[in-house]
Amino acid sequence: MATEERTEELVGELYQAVITMDDEGARRLSQAALDEGIDPYYALTQGLAKAMEKVGQLYADHLYFVPELLLCSDALYAGLDVLKPHIRTGQSDKAKQIIIGTVEGDIHDIGKNLVKIMFEAAGWVVHDLGKDVMLQRFVDEQLEIRADVIALSALMTTSMLAMPTAIEMIRARDPRVAIMVGGAPLTRDIALKYGAHGYARNAGEAVREAQEMLKRLNGSHI
Amino acid sequence: MPARTNAMTERQRIEALLKRETPDRVPLWPFVPNGFAVLYNGLTIADAYSNPEGLYDSLKRAARDFGWVFYPVMVYAAYGAWEFGGEARMPTGRYDQAPVVTRHPLEKDEDIYNLKWPGPDSGLNPTMRRFSELSMREDLDNKPFRATISAGVAYGLACQVAGLNRILKWLIRRPDLAHELIRRLSEWSIARLEGQVEALGNERLIGTCGGPMGSNQLISSKQFEEFALPDIKEGQARLRALGVKHTYVHICGEQNDNLPFWAQVDFGDPGIIGVGHEVGLERAAEFFSNHIILGNLNPAIIQTGSPSEVYEMTKRCVETGKKLGGRYVFSPGCDLPPRAPVENVRMMCKALEDHGWY
Repeated sequence: MATEERTEELVGELYQAVITMDDEGARRLSQAALDEGIDPYYALTQGLAKAMEKVGQLYADHLYFVPELLLCSDALYAGLDVLKPHIRTGQSDKAKQIIIGTVEGDIHDIGKNLVKIMFEAAGWVVHDLGKDVMLQRFVDEQLEIRADVIALSALMTTSMLAMPTAIEMIRARDPRVAIMVGGAPLTRDIALKYGAHGYARNAGEAVREAQEMLKRLNGSHI
Repeated sequence: MPARTNAMTERQRIEALLKRETPDRVPLWPFVPNGFAVLYNGLTIADAYSNPEGLYDSLKRAARDFGWVFYPVMVYAAYGAWEFGGEARMPTGRYDQAPVVTRHPLEKDEDIYNLKWPGPDSGLNPTMRRFSELSMREDLDNKPFRATISAGVAYGLACQVAGLNRILKWLIRRPDLAHELIRRLSEWSIARLEGQVEALGNERLIGTCGGPMGSNQLISSKQFEEFALPDIKEGQARLRALGVKHTYVHICGEQNDNLPFWAQVDFGDPGIIGVGHEVGLERAAEFFSNHIILGNLNPAIIQTGSPSEVYEMTKRCVETGKKLGGRYVFSPGCDLPPRAPVENVRMMCKALEDHGWY
């Protein structure tokens, strides 16, 4: 069993491994955490997840760009692969769920993937439907999963036209779910016009936006 | 068409700007209106990429009806993936905008060393060639250039050939591979220029450059400088050496931090510098003090705004542009949205007609 000091040291190193894009380090340190009896849930939330929160901030501040984000996420997943199987059921029972996908007609998924990573790092259960997702599939998945949030992505002015239709279709079957949108041609004004509850300008802001959106909506109809 | 008598044609306006003279009115050059033009002409989006005759006629008709510059270009952002041996499908879905890449040519890192230069009949090349032939046949009052030729696009091609995820990771993990791929694509791109200029002639040929892959929404300005800039400089220098006098560069997306690097490139005398709505016109004009500035109404406004919003935002853009010393062309910040409401496009033209005169 690691001492408190050793635990903080290892978790701190894990945090650094993600920020410095060191996937091998993240894997090795995660295994070391397990070997030394550190709670894997603690290592995940205080090491990996906190690091991705920082990475999101670095991206929002234009200190990191997409190449850095992709490599940080490789390190995140390297650590997650080691830690996740050892997390006891119940420790993350209250995790929120999100369905995410790039809408029909659009194969651009790099932004969507970055948003997905941020939600996973923040402990959400992410149901990634991929790219070029038929609109009905968002509805069907929601009826099965009953996620807290649905996030729609589009990069083109043609595919963003699918969003109001998708939102209407989802709402018709589940009026309580919170829907957020994002992608290069979108703005907060357009998001509102389309009937979305939330809008994130970039991956770094997406989780915070979702949390604030849920807080807002919990005070109203959700 | 211009409402005033004795007004210049759009072609005369561009020609005046190229001679560093102020035209009577700000010209309207809708960047790439291909998707909009084919739909306006009753065709499908797929026709913009598979039917050169249909596209050419649609562009001609749209330019005539809306009174804008006729810019004969057949282009798609994912050019390279299909042509270098990957696969793509035509845009046939209700929300599709352009050919969709279904497989990139590079599937493993080592494929880079087996990359073959595309033949004349690969991908969209035959269709694009046919479009150029059509375009070379006639000179119209609103058509300042007869054909286009791209140069300095190796980094963008590399993104299509390798796939974006792979190339972006290479920039940090395997810069050697990124440089190698870009070098090979640069060689191909430059080698092809000579043949194209020979076939088309350099008279009224316009160079093109730019794209979204270098934007600071994806990469840092330092990465842009290291990986994209050298080939842009080389490709554009080659165009100048071949006698192509002007380049239209589309600095797509958020590229504020890249402007000092773009400004190091010889885009001609003068070049035509198009910026997205994310870059201020005044800021672009500071970096390109001796060039024509083109831009930059947010395309999403043309797509989703009300007609009065489009009118107001166009007016605002034009009023800013008119302060740049008579070297301004109005344009959307990127492609004219294919499914933009026709009424919105009319209001964009009307705002220019009402407020664009010097």
